[in-house]
Amino acid sequence: MKMRNILLVMTMVITTLLTGCAKKQDASERVLNIVSPAEIKGFDPIMADDLYSGREIGKIYEGLLAYHWLKVPYELVPNLAEAMPEVSKDGITYTFKLRKGVVFQDDAAFPNGKGREVEASDFVYSIKRLADSKSQANGWWILDGKLKGLNEWRDKNEKLPVTNYAEEVEGLRAVDKYTLEFKLAKPFPQFLYALAMGFTSVVSKEVVEKYGKEFINHPVGTGPYILPKFDQGKRITYTKNPTFREKFYPSDASPELKGLLGDAGKRLPLVDKIVVHVMVESQPAWLKFNKGELDYYSIPKDNFASAIKNNTLAPDLSAKGINLIIAPQLDLTYTGFNFDNKLFHNVKLRRAMALAFDEAKSNELFYNNTSFSAQGPVPPGIAGNIKDYKNPYKGPNLEAAKKMLAEAGYPDGKGLPEILYDIPDSTTSRQSGEFFQKQMEQIGIKIKISASPWPEFQAKLKKRGGQMFGLAWGADYPDAENFLQLFYGPNSSPGSNSTNYNNPEFNKQFEAAVMMQDSPARTAAYEKLNKFLAEEVVVIFNMHRQAYTLQQGWLKNYHNSDLSHDSYQYLDLDTAKKEEMLKKF
Amino acid sequence: MTTATETMNLTVPKKQKASKSLWQHAFSTIVKDKLACTALIVVAIYFFIALMTFLGIIANDWGATVGPSYAEPSADYIFGTDIFGRSVFLKMIKGAETAVAIGLVTSAISLVIGTTLGALAGYFGGLIDELVVWFYTTFSSIPFIMLLVAIAFIMGKGTSTVFISLGVTSWVGLCRIVRGEVMKHKDREYSQAASALGAGHLRKIFKHILPNISHVLIINFSLTFESAIKAEVILSYLGLGVQGRPSWGTMIDDSKLELARGVWWQLGAATLAMFIIVLAFNILGDALRDALDPKLKGK
Amino acid sequence: MNLYSYILRRLLYVIPVLLGVCFLIFIIFNVVAPDPAYLLLGRHATIEQIATLHRELGIDRPFWEQYLAVVKTAFTFDFGYSWSSKQQIWEMIKAGAGPSLSITVPLFVITNTIAISIALLVSFYRGKFIDKAVLLISIAMMSISSLAYILFGQYFFAYKLGLFEISGYEPGFPHFIPYVILPIILYVAISWGPDTRFYRSVILDEVYQDYVRTARAKGVGELSIMFKHVLKNAMIPILTYVIIQIPFLILGLLLAEAFFSIPGLGGITIKAINTSDFPVIKAMTILSAVGFIIFGVITDVLYTVVDPRMRLK
Repeated sequence: MKMRNILLVMTMVITTLLTGCAKKQDASERVLNIVSPAEIKGFDPIMADDLYSGREIGKIYEGLLAYHWLKVPYELVPNLAEAMPEVSKDGITYTFKLRKGVVFQDDAAFPNGKGREVEASDFVYSIKRLADSKSQANGWWILDGKLKGLNEWRDKNEKLPVTNYAEEVEGLRAVDKYTLEFKLAKPFPQFLYALAMGFTSVVSKEVVEKYGKEFINHPVGTGPYILPKFDQGKRITYTKNPTFREKFYPSDASPELKGLLGDAGKRLPLVDKIVVHVMVESQPAWLKFNKGELDYYSIPKDNFASAIKNNTLAPDLSAKGINLIIAPQLDLTYTGFNFDNKLFHNVKLRRAMALAFDEAKSNELFYNNTSFSAQGPVPPGIAGNIKDYKNPYKGPNLEAAKKMLAEAGYPDGKGLPEILYDIPDSTTSRQSGEFFQKQMEQIGIKIKISASPWPEFQAKLKKRGGQMFGLAWGADYPDAENFLQLFYGPNSSPGSNSTNYNNPEFNKQFEAAVMMQDSPARTAAYEKLNKFLAEEVVVIFNMHRQAYTLQQGWLKNYHNSDLSHDSYQYLDLDTAKKEEMLKKF
Repeated sequence: MTTATETMNLTVPKKQKASKSLWQHAFSTIVKDKLACTALIVVAIYFFIALMTFLGIIANDWGATVGPSYAEPSADYIFGTDIFGRSVFLKMIKGAETAVAIGLVTSAISLVIGTTLGALAGYFGGLIDELVVWFYTTFSSIPFIMLLVAIAFIMGKGTSTVFISLGVTSWVGLCRIVRGEVMKHKDREYSQAASALGAGHLRKIFKHILPNISHVLIINFSLTFESAIKAEVILSYLGLGVQGRPSWGTMIDDSKLELARGVWWQLGAATLAMFIIVLAFNILGDALRDALDPKLKGK
Repeated sequence: MNLYSYILRRLLYVIPVLLGVCFLIFIIFNVVAPDPAYLLLGRHATIEQIATLHRELGIDRPFWEQYLAVVKTAFTFDFGYSWSSKQQIWEMIKAGAGPSLSITVPLFVITNTIAISIALLVSFYRGKFIDKAVLLISIAMMSISSLAYILFGQYFFAYKLGLFEISGYEPGFPHFIPYVILPIILYVAISWGPDTRFYRSVILDEVYQDYVRTARAKGVGELSIMFKHVLKNAMIPILTYVIIQIPFLILGLLLAEAFFSIPGLGGITIKAINTSDFPVIKAMTILSAVGFIIFGVITDVLYTVVDPRMRLK
């Protein structure tokens, strides 16, 4: 037994020694430690259609345009373009002048390993690559049907064994080394947003060709950070790009973000190194944050209610100088009908269900009362959302709901078959599904819940098999079009219109509205469509959610901005403060 | 082989009686063993609780909000409350029903598949044996988790999927043992005597051979029972767990984030409830083996 | 039958089993699994894109061709590329094997050493207090869910006491050591119980054999009986039990890898399941099935080398 004790002590000593040996981060080094709650799909810009991969792309790759870091609502600014483009009167031709002297990051694919200057033809190549059916790009939809001749080029090359990149496309031309010209198939002002998305980032042909299929693991962009090594591991370490051009922290800001101007005019990026910890489980991420090993932590949406009670931090967290930021997001949660079922063509039935639903209670249960009630599809913060508008068909109003249901032809639910309600299988979805079921029961509508894993749930929607479903939509870009298109007939499944709603009148007005340039007239048109969908009760509109972020006291310049995937270059750490504060941990 | 089987060989016509004496012996051994006796009582209590909740006599209102969300354990809330202010104690009690149901159904399914295939292979031998052996070798070569995922693909999700996937993946061990035992027994004198008396194949398997290896089945039943309860936790973690009613697995899974906030009582309550029944089953299983397996007698 | 022809026959038997494994895999992923195209193409997918993808993935071809493709993969080990990360699957496996093995190998060695030592000790004192106490403790420790071990261990030892890293991994020796200690300790705690019980019963089986009684009657000392006779004979089932664990080492630990952010094969498998990345799931399934079958053959052969009677069965 004594021997065992000695062994035990020895193990303890060795353990402590080894743990002590672990590379402790030097607090004075400016390293940003963040967490990604999902695995990274890889570093090919044309594939990064999820939030988390998009954020990784944004550290390395850049596009023509970007969002201003300190402007609310979102405002586009030139990034690799020298200025915003010249747009022809008819809204068809967009001409960009490129910033000079921008170089690709150094890589073995270039002669002598030195990154060369970016030219207009690189953009032509990058966008053709997005359109090439052989690359199976997730991001193709943003340009599908938008540029003159690009769809034809895609279709023609689909049949060829090797895509012919040399062939000219009318809508996509490098006029000279620094001039790029786009011609649209028809006016579509949202086109500019496409150029601020990761999908249209500039890549170099040499690198793509050198690495082939493995390109996805060898990112070479023009951005502020480089990735010396990527092995699909759980820790991704970026370092400053030594050849990054001169780019400076903005010196103008919206009134609510004036507080973040402390670093105005400083050369970007501000931190030397970024370490992304991929942690799919919440517990370790949460513990690591509480230990001060992460600089901020965005709480996954499913965990809001269990993570934070009453929207205030526990005293022990505030004592450590941790802040909780709750900020609006451009998103919408809704309960959809599949219009392939004739049953739901009865608008009174839809209205009755919407009237019976107690959204305030569900907000309280699942989102700590922080979400905004959705009156229609368009969230606050973008043109098309109608301030102070109250949708007349929003619950809970059981009297009206019962009356409406009787008018629909189903008094007290008589004659109505049991309705199948599909949800993804997360805990929160399951609970909110049960909540919906209870709500509908009150007016005599029977709901049967069917939970499936995400891939299967997705497949069900795309195959148009179900009856009702619960879904959320996060904006791709800050324009009402991105929400209204959810109900545009030609986008029906497998497109993004999972409801398969197809109303010729709505389709026509939608088509007209999206061709208009940003103007009061367009806002009016958007508002009209928004109101129409709201009163059609095309889906039961639930909520616009907010994001929860926990931030350490030493992190500077952070604010929540879902669409700016290049935000990391603006973040900074107060290392002295960090050292001081870490003593409290 | 020691005396027990020899007695059986000698008493073919009165086989029933002989095996009863084995069981009687086993019973008296267990009653004498205080630990095993306690374990038996614990298991009985769990079954009783499960029956009560099943009939809706107790813990029927587990879904009701009884207090604030995440109240700490106190005199008012024995094991505290969960996110919706539901009583963790009632969820734990209701979870016993789920656990017992999973244990019973899983072991029943694995017992039926394992015994049938094992007995057929062991008894008939030849091609049937080759086929069965091929089938379980193939089946057990595929990792458990892939099979679970596959069954979830086929059946969708839900409580019945949990039962079936655990049952269908846990019969191989039993099948192997039954096959071996049946092989040993089919050439014994008593079974030859039975065929001399004109008993058909099925009658011989079910009436004569299986009762003689029933101790193997019983021991395996208790093992499958407790490992099914444990496996349910992993299923819940993978999102393939029980739906619509509380289970210890979902409670432990829920505590993934809660624990970091210092909410330990869901994890604690579910772990405790599970610990006691699994422990009891393990002790009982050991005691049963000691009592029923003649080979180990007297150790 | 001589040993070589036995081994040959045993090896040939691998083929029908592998074909069966392929068939099960084919049924699971090519027939009943949901169409992966929707997930891979994202929320804006078009019909045309889906058709192209089906063609590229080969899932629009007749079933028998798809089955043959699975069989081909199993025999050539040419797993192709991952659907979601577009990496070569072999590369992924190579990258993930290290981290997985850095946990499972020490775990395997420590657990088995501890379990065999304790089993020997308690069978020496069988029926005495120490035997009963160890049995009870091992059963008690087995009765707690592994998820509870991980959740609690990570919270208490790594966070509250700060003894270990909460989560993370650094490749390369010795950098990985601080990150794997806690998972190894937790898994030793989880798995020493069942192993000890197994080894104890195997050793006890031998202890009650007639030859032991004879040896004792001859006046041979207990210690020498234990090591010279009992352990030597118990070695066969012990070895079998140990060897058959080996192929599972490479699969890694699903739960531990997820909670401790270890970039191993367990994590790759879970990720593949969550993203419907069928080639990766198939590769992992085939790999572990082949490992399982081959190590099965090895144990069988070892058995017959030690005990020629087994060959006839």
